[in-house]
Amino acid sequence: MNPTQIQRALADITAETDPTLKHLKLASLVSAVFRERGAELVVVGGSAIEFYTEGAYVSGDLDFCVESAATALTARLRQDIMAQLQATGGPRSWQVGGLFVDVLASFENLARTPIRRLDGPYGEVRIAPVEELIVERVLISKYPVDYPPALECAKKLLAAALLGESETDWAEVERLANDRAYKNWIDVRKLVNEQAQTLQIGSPYHPDE
Amino acid sequence: MNKPKLSKSGAPTIPMNEPMRWADWLAGRRARRETGQRVAPGIIRRASSSSDQRLRRLFDGERGLPFKATDEL
Repeated sequence: MNPTQIQRALADITAETDPTLKHLKLASLVSAVFRERGAELVVVGGSAIEFYTEGAYVSGDLDFCVESAATALTARLRQDIMAQLQATGGPRSWQVGGLFVDVLASFENLARTPIRRLDGPYGEVRIAPVEELIVERVLISKYPVDYPPALECAKKLLAAALLGESETDWAEVERLANDRAYKNWIDVRKLVNEQAQTLQIGSPYHPDE
Repeated sequence: MNKPKLSKSGAPTIPMNEPMRWADWLAGRRARRETGQRVAPGIIRRASSSSDQRLRRLFDGERGLPFKATDEL
């Protein structure tokens, strides 16, 4: 992107008052400028959940992890990249376009399903797979103690998946939930079945389906 | 352009193996919100987090911008 294109994008993002659109537009722009330097980012956390659910969950943070990088993403390189967007702060967290952008560690992903992709207005946005988000949110909702906000996220993700709003590999959800990294298959299956019942549709894990 | 596959709610399905078009994602916003409301009504933004201080400073005491009403999506 040339400086004029970046300026136009920043003006659009700064003026955007819809939090979900603001997050995804900024994700598109940040991903584009990192991609130009050989790095692929993945949206994680609340912004990823919002992408799948429109769940009214996201706050003012946009979190990325690093999927790959052609060269080491040094502090200096990250600052140079974010300087193109007139970001302030760093070297892992910046304020830009009216949000906070955090570029965290390498993307830790056990899912064998693909990173989902959105053709954003300024370039492709890569988003953590829904299968792992489901299992992760169910885990956080129960351990170390009950945590209702994570449970509500899990319910919304499951509803979106059960109704086919996001193409979901239920065998992969089961495999992940049985993996020693999560070990929460009983909790996942129970919540899937409960949400299917609420929505009055079949569950992928119900013996009769 | 191919028409996107539709979910049971009517929202275009977020595909697993190919990129989703921006227009298709936008077209599904309201249906996705309504689906979520069926299982967890209301705004579910966390009340606090480790980022509270910086968020509340930027968003006039809130943790983010206000959400659009479902009928505005």
